[in-house]
Amino acid sequence: MSAAVSRNRLPIAATAGLLLGAAIMVTPLVWTLLLSFKSNAELMRDSATAFSAPYTLENYRSILVGSSVSRWLLNSLIVSLGTTAGVLILCSLAGYAFARLDFPFRRTLFVFVLLGLAVPEQAVILPRHQFFALLGLHNSYPGLILPGLVAPFGVFFMTQYFRAIPRDLDEAAMLDGASRFTLFWKVLLPLTIPAQATLGVFTFLGSWNDYWWPLISATTSDRFTLTVGLASAQMNYAQTSGLGFLMAQAVFASIPILIVYIIFQKQIVRAMAGTAVR
Amino acid sequence: MSRLVSLLLAVVALAGCGRADDRTEIVVQRFFGECGAVYGQSTDVAAADGECGTLTTIINRFQAENPDIRVRLNVVAWPGYPQLSAQIAAGDPPDLVTMHQSVISDYQGRGLLEPMGGLLRGAGIGPETFTEAGRRGVVKGGRVYGMPWDTIGRLFHINTGLMAQAGLMRDGQPVLPNSPEEMLDHARRFRAATGNPYLIQAQVNAPDTHVGNLYTYLLAQGAVIFPDARHIRLRTPEARRIVELFRTLNAERLSTTNQDFPGATAAFINGQGGIFPTGTWMIGPYEAEAGTPGQPLYRSYAVRPFPRLWGSEAAFVDGHAWVMPRRERSRTERAAVGRFLRFLADHNFDWTRTGHLPSFAAVLDRPDFRALPHRAEIAEMAGTGQQLPDYVQRQSAIQGLIGEELEAAVSGIKPVDQALADAERRVNELLAQMI
Amino acid sequence: MTRSRGKAGHLSGYAFAGPFLLLYATILVYPLLLGIWLSFQRADLFGARTWVGFDNYARLLTDPTFHQSVLNTFVLALLIVPPLTVIALLLALALNRATRTAAVFRGIFFSSSVLSVTIVTLIWRFILTPDAGLVAEISQVLGREPLPFLSHPDLTIPSLAITTIWWSLGFPIMLFLAGLQQVPPDIYEAAALDRSSRWSTFWRITLPSLRRTLVLVIMLQTAAQLQLFGQAQLLTAGGPSGASRTMVLFIYEVVFGRWDLGYGAAAAEILFLLVLGITLAQYWAITRREAER
Repeated sequence: MSAAVSRNRLPIAATAGLLLGAAIMVTPLVWTLLLSFKSNAELMRDSATAFSAPYTLENYRSILVGSSVSRWLLNSLIVSLGTTAGVLILCSLAGYAFARLDFPFRRTLFVFVLLGLAVPEQAVILPRHQFFALLGLHNSYPGLILPGLVAPFGVFFMTQYFRAIPRDLDEAAMLDGASRFTLFWKVLLPLTIPAQATLGVFTFLGSWNDYWWPLISATTSDRFTLTVGLASAQMNYAQTSGLGFLMAQAVFASIPILIVYIIFQKQIVRAMAGTAVR
Repeated sequence: MSRLVSLLLAVVALAGCGRADDRTEIVVQRFFGECGAVYGQSTDVAAADGECGTLTTIINRFQAENPDIRVRLNVVAWPGYPQLSAQIAAGDPPDLVTMHQSVISDYQGRGLLEPMGGLLRGAGIGPETFTEAGRRGVVKGGRVYGMPWDTIGRLFHINTGLMAQAGLMRDGQPVLPNSPEEMLDHARRFRAATGNPYLIQAQVNAPDTHVGNLYTYLLAQGAVIFPDARHIRLRTPEARRIVELFRTLNAERLSTTNQDFPGATAAFINGQGGIFPTGTWMIGPYEAEAGTPGQPLYRSYAVRPFPRLWGSEAAFVDGHAWVMPRRERSRTERAAVGRFLRFLADHNFDWTRTGHLPSFAAVLDRPDFRALPHRAEIAEMAGTGQQLPDYVQRQSAIQGLIGEELEAAVSGIKPVDQALADAERRVNELLAQMI
Repeated sequence: MTRSRGKAGHLSGYAFAGPFLLLYATILVYPLLLGIWLSFQRADLFGARTWVGFDNYARLLTDPTFHQSVLNTFVLALLIVPPLTVIALLLALALNRATRTAAVFRGIFFSSSVLSVTIVTLIWRFILTPDAGLVAEISQVLGREPLPFLSHPDLTIPSLAITTIWWSLGFPIMLFLAGLQQVPPDIYEAAALDRSSRWSTFWRITLPSLRRTLVLVIMLQTAAQLQLFGQAQLLTAGGPSGASRTMVLFIYEVVFGRWDLGYGAAAAEILFLLVLGITLAQYWAITRREAER
């Protein structure tokens, strides 16, 4: 049990604050869930009817039956998992290099990558669209995944993390005759599991909820991701006449992310409980 | 070696061809949502409900009756223009697209749409069969750039129960004002008698509310809004009069103020105001409320075009159309598109069951159209409905700019004259920068 | 000497960082340069281009709508980043324990992040709308007139800030938790032996050890919130009368509404420079202080 995990009890005031905060977080979510089980016609009159019966599964049925939702779900999974895997690999490699290797222009290149944090999506999205059109990448998985792989934050984050690992580990391993890649793969990478989990969740989330790039890159319905597909399934005045359906969509789209979070959460907790070498 | 490769390639190609579809394929892109859950396989157009259901069954039916054509349907999120622009920029636009008539000038002005007069005539659809409003919506620079699909416009949706309480019903018909003074008078009486605001208006997040009012009553006064493609004229007594009226309605709390569209809809359904000026597309849902015992709107719902407050009867309208982005197409593909359009045109009546007005004049006279609720009262809009001149581009962006300034004016944040001057300046700047 | 020197070291440095740098250059830097080039043109979405020099930038300098969007963007970032950072830090400290309850709470505070912006704004619309919103119901119970959160010029920006803080808490908390894992346990043990108070332990040990994470969170959130878009577009549409229009919303309207691609590109470059300047200033501020230590 690592001592970095606080052992002492929380003061009462903090506990109260925590409970209040949790209530503020949860209330809207519960409310979303309730709305998703209400008929659209009833909600058009008054959204407060969400707190009383009758409830219905109709909205979920509308999502599951008939539309291409399973296809969109698959697309989203492929794109989000592909992006996450790619980001973790690329950023770990680059982060290791920037943190622990010496090569010409290392600092310059690192700052150069940091500049990427400041690039607003709107500044690159249209030129990138033209560029991808030239390469024939639209309406394809690579076209959807590639932009997500450029994650300056991931490099920055992993670099910071690799820097914090004590250097004597490298020396010990190098003395043992390990190659640089073995050192990276066998010794250092396992130490970064908490960081990988954090970055992984963050990347998956961003990719799953991304809207603008898939909207203009995937324009045929068999290549839609879930966000774009669900948006296309809405009627024009969905907020008014399809509120329950909209909320059911929200719940439906969030489930895979919650599952991913739960998986990673275990990782984080295990890392906290002392699996990581200190 | 190379022979082996080419042999392999040939085998692959043959394998591909063996299953190939020799049907002509057309790509049809639309918004209006997805409703496969209910209408996935249905071809029963008459039984379908709502925009999505009706269009889905029409297309299913076409597919069933025309096995030699394959319709590849692409449903996009409303309104679909970012995607369409992206597709055009990438050189891969669909064959037919739903487009608001007010948007056609943008794409047509840039040479991105095909004139469809010849194709439509070949399919037996002449522009003389369109309604007045429909024709005005798709004819740009003297050529036909789309097949009009409907006319949509803003109407007075009226709670007749509350109007009766305020003494504003005569022979079972709502009494609407004939002048701005009379409107204020009605509104004050209504407020005193019912305790509710006379108007329910979606004023938050809804530039179309203010701009719809402004355009409608500018047209009624015969004002020239756009003297040419690069200029708007808003610093006029006509415009000032209109904005002053709505500012007064707000200031005296004769209208709701802090509602967005869902909020205003709920208020109207729950009987919290007299008149909700909003689109034709809400007739269906409100009619359903009017038929449900126990609801505030039960047997208390009527619809009228905007009343004549100045000058002549006028209605500012828009509509949907089917347009054809420019790209290479074979003769058979064109013929298939023509047949598809012909089929749509033949089912225009079914589409009007959604609340929209027809785009084909013949539908207006059909007894089954007249028999639909409230259609007789609003059918005139298919003739009187006007749009902005065909040379005006970026109408939606312009609406956003004007709406922003009018919002400030009617809520009392900005003086009316300044708001109109600012709107005029901003729109002119936008128009000056167009390519 | 831990850093390897010489040719082999160079090679492996590039071998490790190369794949990322290659993608970075083609998918981010190249389009960015195209965008900069575009900002000197009068251009539309479909390939029309005319060179106009600094014309677009000159127009931006005299465009009051753009000025307001810049101001709004900064106010929003100021209203969001400090509270978000403090709240996330406090929560992370409270939840940094290996109990089941703490895990549940971590899940709860993370849960809002799984929602897409569409849904977040939809939920908050129903909380804030003066007609039937949750807050309105409460104020009516208290006998007060409900406030028009989404339509009053002074209230829309705070509304956007609250919505954003609610939505964005999860990730900073995770970063702080990860950061807390790197605090060497023996420091705490020493502090416990010293019988330091909770307060002084926090100031003397926890906070300094979290400095890296703290800066990371502030930098990231600043960069992210200066690019705030979806909330403003969907919750208030930038209104009323532009009172909550952010820079990215401005860019979006110019590009997709007016098809004025060059003008939008110029605005995007200005935003880029602003974010860049602020991020670099923050980065230099820490690296310099690190060097002094």
